[in-house]
Amino acid sequence: MADPASAERSYSSRIRHILGLYVIGLIGFIATMAWAEQQGLSRHWIGPIFLFLTVMAYAAIGVHGRTSDPAEYYVAGRRIPPIYNGMATAADWMSAASFISLSGALYLQGFSGTPGAPGGLAYILGWTGGFVLVAMLIAPPLRAMELYTIPDFFQVRFGGRWPRILAALGAVLCSFTYVVAQIYGVGLIASRLTGVQFEIGIMLGLGGVLLCSFLGGMRAITWTQVAQYVVLLLAFLIPVSWLAYKQLGNPMAPLAYGQQLGKIAERESVLLASAAERQVIAAYEQRMREDAERLADVPAALERERREARERIQLLRSRNADVDLIVAASRELLAMPRDEAEARARWTRDLRENQQRAQPLGGLPRHIQPFVGDPVGDETQQAQYDLSRRNFIALLFCLMLGTAGMPHLLMRYYTVPTVAAARASVAWSLVFIALLYLSIPALAALVKFEVMSHLVGSRFDALPSWIAQWASVDSSLLSVQDVNGDGIVQFGEIRLGADLLVLAAPEIGGLPYVVSGLVAAGGLAAALSTADGLLLTISNALVRDLYFQPGRRKASPEQRVILTKFTLLTVALAAAFVAALKSSEILPLVAASFSIAAATFVPAMILGIYWRGMTRHGAVAAMAVGLGLTLYYLVIHNPAARAWLPSGLLVPGLWWGIEPISAGAFGAPVGALAGWLVSLLSRRVSR
Amino acid sequence: MPTAATPDSDAERVGVPLDPALADLHHLGLKLALLAVWAAVSFGVGYFAADLQFSVGPWPFSYWVAAQGGVLVFIVLAWGYCWAMQRFERQQGMGAGAAPEGESHG
Repeated sequence: MADPASAERSYSSRIRHILGLYVIGLIGFIATMAWAEQQGLSRHWIGPIFLFLTVMAYAAIGVHGRTSDPAEYYVAGRRIPPIYNGMATAADWMSAASFISLSGALYLQGFSGTPGAPGGLAYILGWTGGFVLVAMLIAPPLRAMELYTIPDFFQVRFGGRWPRILAALGAVLCSFTYVVAQIYGVGLIASRLTGVQFEIGIMLGLGGVLLCSFLGGMRAITWTQVAQYVVLLLAFLIPVSWLAYKQLGNPMAPLAYGQQLGKIAERESVLLASAAERQVIAAYEQRMREDAERLADVPAALERERREARERIQLLRSRNADVDLIVAASRELLAMPRDEAEARARWTRDLRENQQRAQPLGGLPRHIQPFVGDPVGDETQQAQYDLSRRNFIALLFCLMLGTAGMPHLLMRYYTVPTVAAARASVAWSLVFIALLYLSIPALAALVKFEVMSHLVGSRFDALPSWIAQWASVDSSLLSVQDVNGDGIVQFGEIRLGADLLVLAAPEIGGLPYVVSGLVAAGGLAAALSTADGLLLTISNALVRDLYFQPGRRKASPEQRVILTKFTLLTVALAAAFVAALKSSEILPLVAASFSIAAATFVPAMILGIYWRGMTRHGAVAAMAVGLGLTLYYLVIHNPAARAWLPSGLLVPGLWWGIEPISAGAFGAPVGALAGWLVSLLSRRVSR
Repeated sequence: MPTAATPDSDAERVGVPLDPALADLHHLGLKLALLAVWAAVSFGVGYFAADLQFSVGPWPFSYWVAAQGGVLVFIVLAWGYCWAMQRFERQQGMGAGAAPEGESHG
């Protein structure tokens, strides 16, 4: 008994030693870069150096930890000490959505978002609250079962083929949606930091992911994630503390930002009463009317616009105008919609956007007001309030349950030595996540105050340079337009994308460029660490759970690992391909995958663990109904999918006004009910 | 038909190496109590957010709970459960510190 214990102690002390050296090295590196910037190192170098060196460090850890031994590849030999597993889980958990988008979402959505786009603090509560369920109900029993993957649980508990197949399908679906969002984040950061194209940025980041997970599996990923956690924590806390110190004289942002909330509320009242803001709103209303007119007769409007553009070019030519102006006008003509369908789609989108921006405060709800609408107002106000609150609660429910069902998260608790260590490890994860999450609302408030007090009211001819740089990466991330033509920035004229806020925060706050480089490296660490875990989950599910079902194909464990590695490569490339289509923002994509996880796994897993009466038929029913209903609700409200589906399948409108992002709010309870009923029924039949 | 010959639940349990439900049902009371706190902090405060606007320092109460207080409570719950279970296991005298259920190779 004494010998393994002392071996374990020396193992932990060695890890502590290495980690300490790594942290010192990292801080030294940041300090060196800061010094080099002061000595005149160009900005063109700082970004790429941060990107390259951090990815190389992760890759070195990945190569060092390479393995083909199955126990090491799938569950890191089950000997990761709980505190380090907690750290790795935190990095695994905090994805590009947490690091890059969440502060931006709080900036845009305030407390709860609008009825049509719920969010805000539901993400903070949901993504931490789910861990209470994991700690108490799920991780300890799963660890006790000595499994390799999540679908393994369904195989061991229920037997048969279908429970495992359905679980593997669910795991692949929710993880793939999630990994696409991560790779999109990687592309965003790499392209901003190095100035390469978005698609090339994706490929660069992908190389880093593959070096870690391709060679080393779970063991390499675990230690890479520990290293990435340190980077992303520093990358978030340094700018937040700095901003807080600049604004409030106190670097402890989570404790000090409260006073900014009151000031933001005051500014909001001033802006709501401002005449210039009302001009901006009137300008957007005008644009809305124009869009509506164009949509009333698309072919005629398209013809008219083309004619006008051609006439403008003619006019410029005849006047011998500046070449730049002529080029700009011809580019405008080229950018016109090519056909009627495209024109209709584009103008509908414009109309919706202008509608949004014609709202007071550019469509942003007031920062600390819990829900949109008013519980004691008139009827529409009350209805809006009800809808907003219902969507908030539904999203909260899906995020919590989704956390408890996310395969890549649960898999991490297989890697600790004992059941007690699994419990402790969940608690550690929550601590490490909170270190960052407590600062996220602070950053949103600090940046909002900065924008409201400095950017608003500045002159258009003196805009800071970061605005032009970010607008050139993607105009949907940031646009500042002089809508009412007075030469001064109004709040309604600024449009910030959620994915921009953290990455641009150092520049918005006027911090040195080194901090921007660090933040980008942190975002990259967050995206890569999550992508690693997800890719491993997907390839394990495809190879272990779908391809090699027990007793069907013969292969040695080593051959399976090799096959898993190549599947991982294929999945990564497929995800990169989908991400390159730039179809969606990060956060909605991620939230959808939580709904899928919540509905597929949680009812069947909880019932399977805590109710002995659950049968195989019940498990199949719970998963199939949960997954099916969730996917159905997601798909019928997706505009692109609607065009393809036969109209008999489509149900008009939302159910109880719940947005598709929270589809799991239907899938999970109905799945649980189906599991219970079918279990009862199947036992009665067999008796 | 999704499954083959034996839908009987007794036959299925052969494949389960450990039946965790037995051990865990002892602590049902503890779990329910902690889950009640969990639900009150998340769904309770979420649902009544508009009525809980009295200020705590510079923060409105419901905003603070949703932004930070909730996370802190969740941490306390997770550690509390961890601590309580460790105590139960020690009391049952199944070896100090080391967990009985999940004995594993190194």
